[in-house]
Amino acid sequence: MGILKSIAAGLMLILIIGGTVSAQTRIKCASTTSTQNSGLFEYLLPLFEKKTGIKVDVVAVGTGAAIEIGKRGDADLVFVHAREQELKAVEEGFFVSRHDVMYNDFVIIGPTNDPAKIKDTTSALDAFKKIAGSGSTFVSRGDKSGTNTKELSIWKKAGIEPAGQKWYLEVGQGMEKTQRIADEKRAYTLSDRGTWLATKDKDKLDMVIVLEGDKDLFNQYGVMAVNPEKFKTVKYKEAMEFVNWIISKEGQDAVAAFKDKNGNPLFIPNAK
Amino acid sequence: MNSILQGLIQAFNLILNLDKELFSIILLSLKVSGFALIIATVFGLPAGALLGLKRFPGRDLAISAANTFMGLPPVVVGLFVYLLLSRKGPLGFLGLLYSPSAMIIAQTILATPIVVALCQSATVNVDPIIRQAARTLGATPRQVTVTIINEARYGILSAIIAAFGRVMAEVGSILIVGGNIAGYTRVMTTTIALETDKGNFELALALGIILLAISFSINALLHVVQKKGTITVS
Amino acid sequence: MKLSVSHIAKAYEGRTILKDCSYAFDKNGTYVLMGRNGSGKSTFLRICALLEQADGGIVTYGENGAALQPDMALKRRITLVLPRIGVFNTTVSRNVAYPLRVRGLSYAEIESRVNKTLAFVGLEQKKSQQARTLSSGETQRLGIARALVLGPEILFLDEPTASIDEENTWIIESIIKDMKKEGRAMVIMTTHDNAQAERIADRVLVLDQGFFQPDKSN
Repeated sequence: MGILKSIAAGLMLILIIGGTVSAQTRIKCASTTSTQNSGLFEYLLPLFEKKTGIKVDVVAVGTGAAIEIGKRGDADLVFVHAREQELKAVEEGFFVSRHDVMYNDFVIIGPTNDPAKIKDTTSALDAFKKIAGSGSTFVSRGDKSGTNTKELSIWKKAGIEPAGQKWYLEVGQGMEKTQRIADEKRAYTLSDRGTWLATKDKDKLDMVIVLEGDKDLFNQYGVMAVNPEKFKTVKYKEAMEFVNWIISKEGQDAVAAFKDKNGNPLFIPNAK
Repeated sequence: MNSILQGLIQAFNLILNLDKELFSIILLSLKVSGFALIIATVFGLPAGALLGLKRFPGRDLAISAANTFMGLPPVVVGLFVYLLLSRKGPLGFLGLLYSPSAMIIAQTILATPIVVALCQSATVNVDPIIRQAARTLGATPRQVTVTIINEARYGILSAIIAAFGRVMAEVGSILIVGGNIAGYTRVMTTTIALETDKGNFELALALGIILLAISFSINALLHVVQKKGTITVS
Repeated sequence: MKLSVSHIAKAYEGRTILKDCSYAFDKNGTYVLMGRNGSGKSTFLRICALLEQADGGIVTYGENGAALQPDMALKRRITLVLPRIGVFNTTVSRNVAYPLRVRGLSYAEIESRVNKTLAFVGLEQKKSQQARTLSSGETQRLGIARALVLGPEILFLDEPTASIDEENTWIIESIIKDMKKEGRAMVIMTTHDNAQAERIADRVLVLDQGFFQPDKSN
């Protein structure tokens, strides 16, 4: 028993010394699973660490949960894509220094011959209205993902209830599968540009983008630091270093340079 | 353990409250498998009876083939039908992929060898004395065939029930060719797969319970029919 | 109707069973064909009943001095009851109704003839019973009833009472005797049982080594 105690004590000593010697600053960032799945953090964070020596640990959960974590002070900053919710939380005093960082966008895709002539519309709202009005088949992910949420918000804005209608098919599966079903069914669907670019040739989709660029189709990412006046223990200084870096030219260039495994840029930097 | 119990309770709730979504899924399962069985029987019964009653060159090969094809893996059938029906495939112009029709096609392919092989077995196992008796009693060759098929009726019914049980329980083929689209191509088995994946256990468990009940009933019915068909000759 | 066979010969797999059989079945009554096992009695019967082709010789059915064509119409006037009755998996009455159904008789006709025939063989109490649950003796009677319901002019019975109990044997012999009495049909049957032959035969033929032994009459 005596020997084990000594070994344990020795180990603890080493850890403490080791810990203090490499007293690296670590900050916690709450973000979303889809952001993490895109691989952005694996690319971006080492660049930031190299420049500042600060290590960022990412906690990836759903959008709502990420904001909650920030509100509880369990993170130092929050990096999500839910602009209205973010602004609200800032208003409520939980966060400070919120900035737009980048966006990725959604595209409405459909059959190459575009039977419903969606290409003639100029807004996502009109496009959706036209699809519903003509009873053209629309394939939805139906899985409460980010894309699905965006899609449903557009329907809502257009005042249309697609659920249960004959032309509205809910797949409940991933984006690539959803696209393939839309292709087979000669239907329209909402996709994210990253997936579209990555898969349209690979899956030999007989489809084209029928509408893009509408503000409604933007997925705006924002970063904000947890308010140090609410939580004294939060690492505000270091968190702000990240905020300032990512909205700086250097950070923005890094975002623009990030490409997926097929060489397509996934995000468009738009910090002001 | 808690979440399983929770799920079970909510599952029973869904069943007892005659949840609309639940029952529309069950109905679709019955429709798809039912249609597949009807088609499989229309083609498979005469084919099986032919193999059981007539001698012709290649008969043994055909019987072996039918029996071998009983073991078609559903997922492979799904792949085959997918390639056939997809827009890029030979039958793509029909636009049938990801529809209930595609599912019926796949399940028909699965069911038909079972019906053929088991009907062949049922008719061939009819005592040859029956054929002789029918002939001596003045039946025409066509009438003799009908008589033998009638004698084999329990075996034939067993074949149909067995095939139905098989396709009701499968998921591999219809998942691939159906696309699991809500309210359109989502049946019991594919929904269980999907909802379990998503962690929505109530619906999955409810459907699982019902599918079990249906499977057990089918097998019990099969057993009863087989028993009835074997009244021993005194 | 009369039956005459001349110089019937039949061989199976190289073995000659029937060498030269000739006979004239020209009077109504009961002809009993006897012989050892494997002597060819069943084969002979089947050839006479036009269910098998002989290798040599001719089978002639005649009426009013003229020969009848061996067509479907003729075949429907004669019936063979096999030693093992192929009982259909249904009720007794449906079994007996079968030969009438395949000839397309009306439901009412079938009903009355079936009932009459079942009464004749003593199975009317069991008409709704599953035929496969009958005893072996009852099954034989069912087989005979099924053949009789047609009103055949010649009835061939192959070993009708082999391996059934005494009581049913007696019943079947009575049936055969009754048939003669009612002038219902000519009966040509085979048996092992000498005593039986003595009891019911009008004429006895003995088949031995492929030939008929000289005729013995009762």
